[in-house]
Amino acid sequence: MSDEPSDATAAAEISEEAGLDGRLEAIQDSELAVVGIAVVGVLLFPLVFNNLLNGYTQLATLVLVWGIFALGFDILLGYTGLLSFGHALFWGGAAYAAGIFSASVSGQPVLVILFGTLIAVLLAWIIGFLSLRRGGIYFAILTLTFGQMAFYLSSSPLAFLTNGENGFTSVSIAPLFGVLDLHGSLGGPLAMLPGNTLYLFVGAVTVLTIALANRILNSPYGIVFKAIRENESRAEFVGLDVWRYKLMAFIISALFAGISGSLFAIEGNYVPLSSLYWTTSGEVVIMTVLGGVGSLFGPLFGAAVYLYIEFIVSGMDVVGPFWHLILGLVFVVVVVLFPDGIWGGVTAIRDYIGGERR
Amino acid sequence: MSLLSQILTILLNGLQQGAIYVLLAVGLSIILGTLKFVNFAHGALYLLGAYLGLFITTEVQLTNGMLPEWGITTFGLGLGFLAALLIVPLVTFVVGIVMERFVAKPFYDRPDTDQILVTFGLAVIFQEALRALIGGDSQSLPQPAWASGPIALPIIGNFPRWRLGVIVITALLVLFVYALVEYTDFGLIVRAGTMDSEMVRLLGIRLDRPYLVVFGIGAALAGIAGVVGGPLANVNPNIGTEQLVPAFLTVVIGGVGKIEGAVLAGLLLGTLQVLLIQTGFAAWNRVGIYVLAAVILLVRPQGLLGSEVDVE
Amino acid sequence: MTVLQTDGLTKRFGGLTAVDEVDMSIDKGEGVSLIGPNGAGKSTFINLVTRRLEPSEGDIQFNEQSILGLDPHEVVQRGMSKSFQTASIFPDLSVEENAIIAALAAEHGSFRFNFLRHRNAYPEVTRVADEVLESVGLYEQRNATAKNLDYGNKRRLEIGIALAAEPDMLLMDEPTAGMSPEETESTVELIKEVKEELDLTFLLVEHDMEIVFDISDRIVVLNRGQVIAQGTPAEVQDDPAVQDAYLGGAEE
Repeated sequence: MSDEPSDATAAAEISEEAGLDGRLEAIQDSELAVVGIAVVGVLLFPLVFNNLLNGYTQLATLVLVWGIFALGFDILLGYTGLLSFGHALFWGGAAYAAGIFSASVSGQPVLVILFGTLIAVLLAWIIGFLSLRRGGIYFAILTLTFGQMAFYLSSSPLAFLTNGENGFTSVSIAPLFGVLDLHGSLGGPLAMLPGNTLYLFVGAVTVLTIALANRILNSPYGIVFKAIRENESRAEFVGLDVWRYKLMAFIISALFAGISGSLFAIEGNYVPLSSLYWTTSGEVVIMTVLGGVGSLFGPLFGAAVYLYIEFIVSGMDVVGPFWHLILGLVFVVVVVLFPDGIWGGVTAIRDYIGGERR
Repeated sequence: MSLLSQILTILLNGLQQGAIYVLLAVGLSIILGTLKFVNFAHGALYLLGAYLGLFITTEVQLTNGMLPEWGITTFGLGLGFLAALLIVPLVTFVVGIVMERFVAKPFYDRPDTDQILVTFGLAVIFQEALRALIGGDSQSLPQPAWASGPIALPIIGNFPRWRLGVIVITALLVLFVYALVEYTDFGLIVRAGTMDSEMVRLLGIRLDRPYLVVFGIGAALAGIAGVVGGPLANVNPNIGTEQLVPAFLTVVIGGVGKIEGAVLAGLLLGTLQVLLIQTGFAAWNRVGIYVLAAVILLVRPQGLLGSEVDVE
Repeated sequence: MTVLQTDGLTKRFGGLTAVDEVDMSIDKGEGVSLIGPNGAGKSTFINLVTRRLEPSEGDIQFNEQSILGLDPHEVVQRGMSKSFQTASIFPDLSVEENAIIAALAAEHGSFRFNFLRHRNAYPEVTRVADEVLESVGLYEQRNATAKNLDYGNKRRLEIGIALAAEPDMLLMDEPTAGMSPEETESTVELIKEVKEELDLTFLLVEHDMEIVFDISDRIVVLNRGQVIAQGTPAEVQDDPAVQDAYLGGAEE
């Protein structure tokens, strides 16, 4: 990011276009604004969630973890228009890789996340290469297939690594930079912050991933991804290597899944076998669509709504036992009637209110 | 046991294992090939078939879910297995027609991803509604009395009668559908539609009715698969989605829209699984089919019997 | 210099020979039209040249190099652009974004590893995009969503997208199909303008003979997959084989 200002100045000098200067500034402002919104959101979320919505900090942490997963998934589904049913492979794969790494190499959280993410990216390279050979409908089926393959691999042939059906229980996370115990409590003035140590750590990673996603979507890739979604054959006929961009979208989404999966292993000190099961892939699909495909913040909302229904609504009288059914119904209604999801609704209201000013 | 009888036993068991995949895959495949519609709710039709079969065949004691809370503790008709075998395909055929009209049709012109999303959502709703009503416990669908126990076969020796029954029923059904598609006017339209629906439409043939029937047949096959597959394992709300993945695999390996392809692929997958189990690699049996699928798709992306034109 | 040349180009579908040993060459700066009755093999020919279809036999040379074995996007990168029969645009993006996509491909090649660079680090892309929009007369509407343009402007945008690649040759597949007479006229004017301005080489597939005779330097007539006549508009008009083909085609 450091070379950005000089680039921008150079850009402004080259261009004689009036107004381009202002536009550049607007874009940079918006990048800062996005990070600012993310920071404020992460800090306010547990306050609102815990005090007004019956939530609790551990669930708020989980919302961010899944939110990162959905955020990356949206780059694939919402922006590029590719529906994968195999992302459990990258999420669970990273969780296992992170867990095993923490138990046998180093428990340093940053290294654990880097290793888990690296594995997810490598897996995505291979699986993407295989699954993208055939377009459209085959992609969903093939990713589903490879995801299930990983599940069955881990359940028994690889049980010596993964501990099979019992899940990986030996996750062992060291204090961050050797000083800060993530599962401990904060001392000094930091204790004033909302949430707990783990929440703030996950929150910091969340802000970074939001900034990363925002940058990718504002890079040439962002517009190329949208072009592929809108009209793939036209994108090919302006001379773009559609196949390689699709593979990149796939790998990038797996990168986010990898960060999220590694955080999940750190958060729970445990990796269940179900993290690789295809229902996990289904969950991230539902979260992303609920929240709103093709928007930066939508998937985070989707994750919050999903987990809220799973953990809070499920404990309520009367409707509690039906939480999964409720999710299914809401999901279908959103797919059929509100393709832009919850976030789409929010922006529609905002535009409606803001519309009078324009 | 001689080597020959061992090989034949593995083949026969593979045939039986693959039979359920074939029944599901043939329906999925003709729907995908003709209507270009991806039905993630196909597993839910299998689930429906299995539970309908259960409740038609016997009376079931319910302990969990909403029904017992509402005072219904036994549920079912107790008409026997044969009745289930006759009624279930009729019911699922109708369900298929309703699905085509109200679920599939509005989505023909929307992106593939929307079709997958909505059928996936419906599958979740059906599965969870079922779970809410009768709980998630496993039930057992009894084998029909007339087909239980072993049957003595030449060379192989004793073989479970019902497993043989599954093979025979599958073979008859697949032959019926194959004949329908290959030798009737309906089949001609379906096959032409598979190749180029635009052209068929330009020729002035309305595809609405054939589409309905294709969807209905696919659904009926999935329903029967649930009934005949029910006695081979437990019946619980998860079996639909569990069967969906290998069924998709079968379609893709065989080649979309190809009935022969689905049969070949189903048998291949079934035999491989049985082979792995019986040769001491049971832990690998589920992995094996995915590896086989990956290899086949790398070498022949269009599937074993698929044509290259379909790849686009 | 020859821009496009096909030698014995043949495509068979099963028993049907859609394109039958076609030898065609287009020189730089030439405007050539490909005409022929329905089913003559025009679309197949275009699909072969753009590498959507694999030829059964024969060779295709573009800028004096064979393009067999290339992917469609590689052919575009070599300088062959195509405008589609329908308005093939990116409907939910803005007019300017549509042009930017094409300019990106033209300026950056088919693929680049730059997902961490902000788009505003590439001012030349925006400049090319804006130039293209100027030249097709859509600069004023650059912030509109593409799908909200009227049909004629969508087609202008479509041509603009094809031009953004700064092509050595432009393939146009019925560029005025479905247009009103006014829209047709302005599109023809546009093509003429661009041809003059950029010294554009083009291959046009078109049904409207008025347009064909108006803007072509040379016409190639295809029937049943074979070239049955070619020459200047006047020559082709008087060719008895051409009249036969069209009358025969009408009878079928």
